[in-house]
Amino acid sequence: MLTRRAFGILSLLLPASGLLRAGRALAEPRDLSLEPPSFVRDIWEGRLPELAQRLPQDPRVIDLPAMGRAPGHYGGTMRMLMGDQRDIRMMTVYSYARLVVFDLKGDIVPDILAKVDIEQGRIFTLHLRKGHRWSDGHPFTSEDFRYWWDDVANNAHLSPDGPPLQLVVKGERPVFEVVDETTVRFMWSTPNPGFLPALAGAQPVLIMLPAHYMKQFHQRYADPVRLGALIRGERVKGWGALHDRMARSYRPENPDLPTLSAWMPTTKPPAEFFVFKRNPYYHRVDEQGRQLPYVDEVTMSIGTSSLIPAKVAAGAADLQARYISFADYTFLKEGEHNGHYHVRLWERGEGAYVTLVPNLNVADPGWRAVLRDVRVRRALSVAINRRDINQVIFFGLGHEGANTVLPGSPLYDSRYDHAWAQYDPALANKLLDEAGLDKRDDDGIRLLPNGRRAEITIETAGDNTEETDILELVGYDWEKIGIKLYARGVQRDLLRRSVIAGNATMAVWPGLDNATAGPNMPPDSLAPTSSMQFQWPLWGQYVDTMGREGEKPDLPAAEKLVDLAKQWRRSVTPEERRQIWEKMLQINADQVFTIGIVNRTSQPVVVNDRLRNVPEVGIYSFEPGAYFGIYLIDTFWFEDGNAALEVKRD
Amino acid sequence: MSATTHSLPPPGAPLDHFVDDAPFDPYATEPMTKAQERIYLASQLTLMWWKFKRHRLAVVSGLFLAVLYASILISEFLAPYNYTERHTDFIRSPPQAVHLFHDGNFIGPFTYGLTYTLDMEKLRRNYTEDTSRIYPVRFFCRGDSYRFWGLVEGNLHLVCPGEGGTLFVLGTDRLGRDMLSRLIYGARISLTIGLIGISVSFGLGIIIGGLAGYYGGWFDLLTQRAIEVVQSLPHIPLWLALSSVMPPTWSPLLVYFGITIILGLMDWTGLARAVRSKLLSLREDDYVVAAQLMGAKTPRIVFRHLVPGFMSHLIAMATIAIPSMILGETALSFLGLGLRPPITSWGVMLNEAQNINIVVLYPWLILPVVPVIAVILAFNFLGDGLRDAADPYR
Repeated sequence: MLTRRAFGILSLLLPASGLLRAGRALAEPRDLSLEPPSFVRDIWEGRLPELAQRLPQDPRVIDLPAMGRAPGHYGGTMRMLMGDQRDIRMMTVYSYARLVVFDLKGDIVPDILAKVDIEQGRIFTLHLRKGHRWSDGHPFTSEDFRYWWDDVANNAHLSPDGPPLQLVVKGERPVFEVVDETTVRFMWSTPNPGFLPALAGAQPVLIMLPAHYMKQFHQRYADPVRLGALIRGERVKGWGALHDRMARSYRPENPDLPTLSAWMPTTKPPAEFFVFKRNPYYHRVDEQGRQLPYVDEVTMSIGTSSLIPAKVAAGAADLQARYISFADYTFLKEGEHNGHYHVRLWERGEGAYVTLVPNLNVADPGWRAVLRDVRVRRALSVAINRRDINQVIFFGLGHEGANTVLPGSPLYDSRYDHAWAQYDPALANKLLDEAGLDKRDDDGIRLLPNGRRAEITIETAGDNTEETDILELVGYDWEKIGIKLYARGVQRDLLRRSVIAGNATMAVWPGLDNATAGPNMPPDSLAPTSSMQFQWPLWGQYVDTMGREGEKPDLPAAEKLVDLAKQWRRSVTPEERRQIWEKMLQINADQVFTIGIVNRTSQPVVVNDRLRNVPEVGIYSFEPGAYFGIYLIDTFWFEDGNAALEVKRD
Repeated sequence: MSATTHSLPPPGAPLDHFVDDAPFDPYATEPMTKAQERIYLASQLTLMWWKFKRHRLAVVSGLFLAVLYASILISEFLAPYNYTERHTDFIRSPPQAVHLFHDGNFIGPFTYGLTYTLDMEKLRRNYTEDTSRIYPVRFFCRGDSYRFWGLVEGNLHLVCPGEGGTLFVLGTDRLGRDMLSRLIYGARISLTIGLIGISVSFGLGIIIGGLAGYYGGWFDLLTQRAIEVVQSLPHIPLWLALSSVMPPTWSPLLVYFGITIILGLMDWTGLARAVRSKLLSLREDDYVVAAQLMGAKTPRIVFRHLVPGFMSHLIAMATIAIPSMILGETALSFLGLGLRPPITSWGVMLNEAQNINIVVLYPWLILPVVPVIAVILAFNFLGDGLRDAADPYR
């Protein structure tokens, strides 16, 4: 490891050669003590400017001691294992550098931006950091916003549907204005409370692009001959497809695309091993003025997901939570000593670990009518012995409750949590009898009003064993109320398609994504807003496409929810939003649109023994939180940084 | 013999057809002793049995299989528990020893009580034997209720745990179900799937192969090409395709039959080939020509003269084919495309065990491998013995 003493020696030895090679005069001795050792050589040989020139004038200072964490050392390689090449998007999620970000209190704070001014909830003035640069060293300015707004979002060829939905309020697009080199403004005539949360998302809405790089792919700026050659070289249909592909930053498939993230991609897919190197122009520093991230390199090794727990136990990952499940905990714990890691248990942040989602838009008319009856949904929910499931599968460590917000959310109310989540088979039988499923056949299976046996096929993506075990237990419970359950495993993408096509009667899916939401976050997941909502895919599609596709919601409760979600979009005060949220949570709890089984379950997080600053406990959730992102993964560091460089690949 | 006594008819006129009324005695010239008679006049079946008896391994395997197949008739009675019965207090309990002596005193078979502790550090369920609690195993006792063959209610078991005790000889699975009972119930599915599958492929093989062999010509040509096509298809992907076609709403029993038929449909080709080649050679044999000359009709020739000629051979072939059916079911279920809970088979149980955690922490859940291997080996030895016996004159 290169310590400060080593720097001292370096700075004694190198000046002469550096002077000659770089050919520039060095009046005073250069202080490189704050520089990452991996950059020292480049700086001496003049390939990289010094830290002061690389950082913005006012970098974001992360005060580690104030957070109760230890300031760290530079260096090391953080190894992660992934099951799919597309998982390189996790790098964007984990590093969580956004224009604005959620902090641990759930508030939105500036990150890449220096400051955001909001007037009347409708005029947003974004102030950039002066001297902030893209990872290739080019200045990051208001031109990057202008390019995106004028030439991408409002270009009919690149964005046929116009700007992203979060920027459109009741059909109205914002007025965009460049104030100066580092200030831009978005203005609407009515409030747009969804704007900042969208920028802070784990999968954010991007409102800027590196203009200096992207212009070579844009018809308006590029030389037609060169552009034609690029299109042929990439074998795409036209410049639009080329631009889309080159601009893709959430899944960083283009190593040449400049980024503002902590680590920049260096591997072009297809590949099985991805290397991300530190971004020399990153905008965060620790309280001592050292540039983050501490860790030089992140690697992602792609392999079969079912083998990941075994590899992790062999010590092949330094930080891993994806693809390991609660069932692997005991196994991982046994391997702690040999693998030189420790397993921590974080709390999962979904509304429910597993929900049963009845498809209210199912094509089968018999089941559709039955499932739309709230008494049936309630009966199915109270027939489940959640306590048993919690004990058998989660050692009683989970919490038995409905799919709703968690106590970490300011909106939590135990009434939503307990609504129809008790175990009461007698009540279930009574409700089903009332709902017209009062006849049974010889096997004791109820008959639907149209005379068919009440056999539900539940489709599951089934890639974890807990899910299939839970289904088996639910199957035993439902048999007692005369409902037969068949589980059918299908591939994840096929499951989506079969739900949207109305072939699946019921699906298994995780609960609310954002279960620690505050009133200022959009309540979209509680109302029909997207076709990805398995309880009402067609209604969601109808609302999403403004009535062009899908079906109009025709259940009063669902209509009410759509209406409330619209009201939230027009709301101004937090109090108003809170009331809307509460009403929506109330309706969801009462109507049991999704049947949550267990929430607040544990997620094992495997942390290398030498990796510091990883919190002992945390909430593992995609939204908000971006998994490790909200815990500032760039402040994690290796106790013996450079030793890890030797182990590059297993 | 008597041809010389007749004068030949003029050329072109039909030959006289003469059949002697007296019974034919081939041994008229050399009479045999009783012992010789026993050997030389033995029927083919008797000869085969003698030959088979000398193949020790095959006899043992045959007996083993006979016992297993007999057991599936009374699975409910043999299993100590009902296979769906969950014991929430004993999840993933390791195999429990059956003791005979306590403190040096003979008590008879008994189990100690299990004390359950949860290791919150490693989140592992630990079970220790509590030697102060003794539960003698009961025999011919009342235990979990079941529906015998799905028809008659009953609760009689061969063995039951002592009152208030447990008897998990092979441990319990992740939902606390007794592994031994599941193995015994699973045998019913895993063993019969081979038989039903083989009868499907047997039927198809004999009919198609028989017609092709006996008639030959264009039908033979067509079936031979069809067989080549079927054989050239890789089996596993085809199974996967066929089993995914089966609607998920089918009851597990129907799925079971569907899978046996799929397995049978894939397996008839080898048998058809064997039948055809046997028929091709046999139909040219002298005794067939003789039968034809004596005016026998086709069905009589095929069933009276030809089929017995290769039946023994076929049985041997079928015996060797059954293991591949059992393995086929196991493979399909292992991949999660075969049988589904609540039906249990050895393949389903293995599917539940395909997990690194189980190999490391709960190895007794991989036990269904043992009966699979034992049955497959037994069938192979039996088939080997039968094939040797099928040709007793060699």
